[in-house]
Amino acid sequence: MKKLLVAFMVMLALAPVFAGGSSESSGNADAETQIFFFHRWPNDPKNSMFNDLLAQYMEENPDVNIEMDCILNDQYKERIRMIVSTNDVPDVFSSWSGTFAEEMIASGNVLALNDIYEADPEWSGRLASASVAGFTFDGTIYGIPWSQDGKVFFYNKTIFEELGLEVPTTWTEFIAVLDALKAAGYEIPLAEGLVDQWAVLHYLGTINQRMIDEETLAKDYDPATGEFTDPLYVTALEKWQQLTTYMGDIASAIDHETARNTMFATGESPIMYLQFAEIPMLEQVIPEDFEYGFFNFPAFEEGKGDPNALTGAPEGFMISNKAENIDACVDFLKWLVSPERGYILSTVGGDMSCVDGALDGEGIYESQKEALAMIQNASYLAAWFDNACDPSVYVVYGQGGQAIATGDATPESVMAQVQAAAASLH
Amino acid sequence: MNTRKKNLGALLFCLPGLLILAVFVYFPLIENIIYSFQSFSLSSSSKTFVGLNNYKELFSDPVIWQSFKNNVLYAVVSVVMQVFFGLILAAILEDKVFRRSESFFQTVFFIPTLLSLTVVCLLFEFVYNPQMGLLNSFLEAIGLDSLTRIWLGNRDTAMLSIIAVSQWQSFGYVTMLFIVAIQKIPSDLYEAAIVDGAGKIRRFFTITCPMVKQMFFVTMVLTVSGAFTVFNEPYILTGGGPGTATMVLSLHMYQTGFVMNRMGYASTIAMLIFVITAVLSSVQFFSFGTGKEERE
Repeated sequence: MKKLLVAFMVMLALAPVFAGGSSESSGNADAETQIFFFHRWPNDPKNSMFNDLLAQYMEENPDVNIEMDCILNDQYKERIRMIVSTNDVPDVFSSWSGTFAEEMIASGNVLALNDIYEADPEWSGRLASASVAGFTFDGTIYGIPWSQDGKVFFYNKTIFEELGLEVPTTWTEFIAVLDALKAAGYEIPLAEGLVDQWAVLHYLGTINQRMIDEETLAKDYDPATGEFTDPLYVTALEKWQQLTTYMGDIASAIDHETARNTMFATGESPIMYLQFAEIPMLEQVIPEDFEYGFFNFPAFEEGKGDPNALTGAPEGFMISNKAENIDACVDFLKWLVSPERGYILSTVGGDMSCVDGALDGEGIYESQKEALAMIQNASYLAAWFDNACDPSVYVVYGQGGQAIATGDATPESVMAQVQAAAASLH
Repeated sequence: MNTRKKNLGALLFCLPGLLILAVFVYFPLIENIIYSFQSFSLSSSSKTFVGLNNYKELFSDPVIWQSFKNNVLYAVVSVVMQVFFGLILAAILEDKVFRRSESFFQTVFFIPTLLSLTVVCLLFEFVYNPQMGLLNSFLEAIGLDSLTRIWLGNRDTAMLSIIAVSQWQSFGYVTMLFIVAIQKIPSDLYEAAIVDGAGKIRRFFTITCPMVKQMFFVTMVLTVSGAFTVFNEPYILTGGGPGTATMVLSLHMYQTGFVMNRMGYASTIAMLIFVITAVLSSVQFFSFGTGKEERE
């Protein structure tokens, strides 16, 4: 009996040794310099792109081993939030700009990069300044941007030409275009999948930006001072309500990707609000003769926000100040965020690099070049709604936006909930 | 002395179990109670004590009420569909008429239980799909076009559509449990009843039902507490939408904690779920008994 007990205790004590999993590692596993790299792109083509890039880097730098781990968006957000303030913070990790970046920085574990930018002006001078601005807080740069994006209305050029429609610049013109399309037999002139709350939020973020004056918006998006009492917020949601009537009942039961692939790409719906980053995905599913163009979100006649702003934001990488090999991390990121690798990101990965010169080569879609011009011509880049304000506020906004679309809530009732959510943050 | 030694040995054998329970159940539970009085985010290094604020918010949060109603609906439908109909189906399958094909039907009803919930939910996404879904296509094929709906995108049908998925999956499991219970009933009871002239329905109510009381209790606890902790189905199928139409308590807790990043308030919602399931389990425990008296 005693023996049995002892054996059992020994087993219990040893259990963690056997249970301890081995982490994935490839390339120069025994190298002196180890970097742990964590990002949010486990899907192809980006995952294999990263695998190839890392393999190339490790071949060029045999003394460095990069261990990579990745999980998808929402799970990534959870995971990185959990570990960023601990000692397990990854050496290099991907981050959105705006409030998400601020949250990361608040952990105190993110390295300030001003010296690195200043030490190598040739490299840092190539980064789009609007993108660097997304990672700059009170003059301190905390991230290295690597992609930039914007959200605009994509439209089917052929259908517009057939019906003699002009690209709208104001809300009234936009509604007139949607009505004309409906009259011409396009039952759902505006394609969208509202199951994805972020798709709702992208709309609401832009509508708010166009409608509310910049100062009020900044005050309300700040968790410490947000009130959302400006009556124009209700007007903004009324515009959203109006827009959803052109999306059809089906919108509430499909996701954004389905809407893009089965409605916009097939010509069933002539307009859709899309990100520039979706260009490669769109190119893969559209017929050869499909021609599309884009226009920025139209201006509201009563709107007080800047109508020339573009909703979109850069994404990039941060380095932990707890990293053992900070220099190696910097080297790796400089190598990654360069015209050559930016070109790979833009052609293979599909995102638009924010490195100057990356979008010059062959294999870049014409529309991507047009998109780049649009980003450069925008008065400023307005952050995604879910990077601009506190999650407690935007979740309520997202749920409310969905409920308005299905006719289960009114703009007034949603705003009341938003106000309550904002007040609970003070 | 010998007995004491034996007891000590027994205690030692219980120790690992107790230890695991303490570490993985009781310690987190106590921690959660403490968290529910605090305010903090996932990445924050410090926690602020906020007293009863989280609990006050709990009672004024409209989403809580909506979620609670959905959970109650879930529980009611589950009890009716799984426990009551499961028992009836088990009795039918155990009937002489079905004896030969019993194992075939058992397998058929039990297969959904073996499938991963995620797979089942993805499968039902195709069933409910408004563009090419099986359900709408089927309704159209048999001329019931008027019944086609945007099942998951409509407030009136979304919750019931999600509940239906669970019923499809768990029905066979509960039936199986009842079959096992019915098989344990001594056959002489039925024989005596037949001699007394009792029909099938009479035998079901006077012998089968009272004899499976214990299993009835077990399945009630399983389905009701399952209904109040349900998460996967609404998370995968609708994410709680449209709006908050299919929000349930655990999903609201998850969103509060991991999306809104308010871990303190999420812990308070967790406490609410705990209290509800604990109260319901105890009520059932005391009203149905543990079945001990029957064994004695």
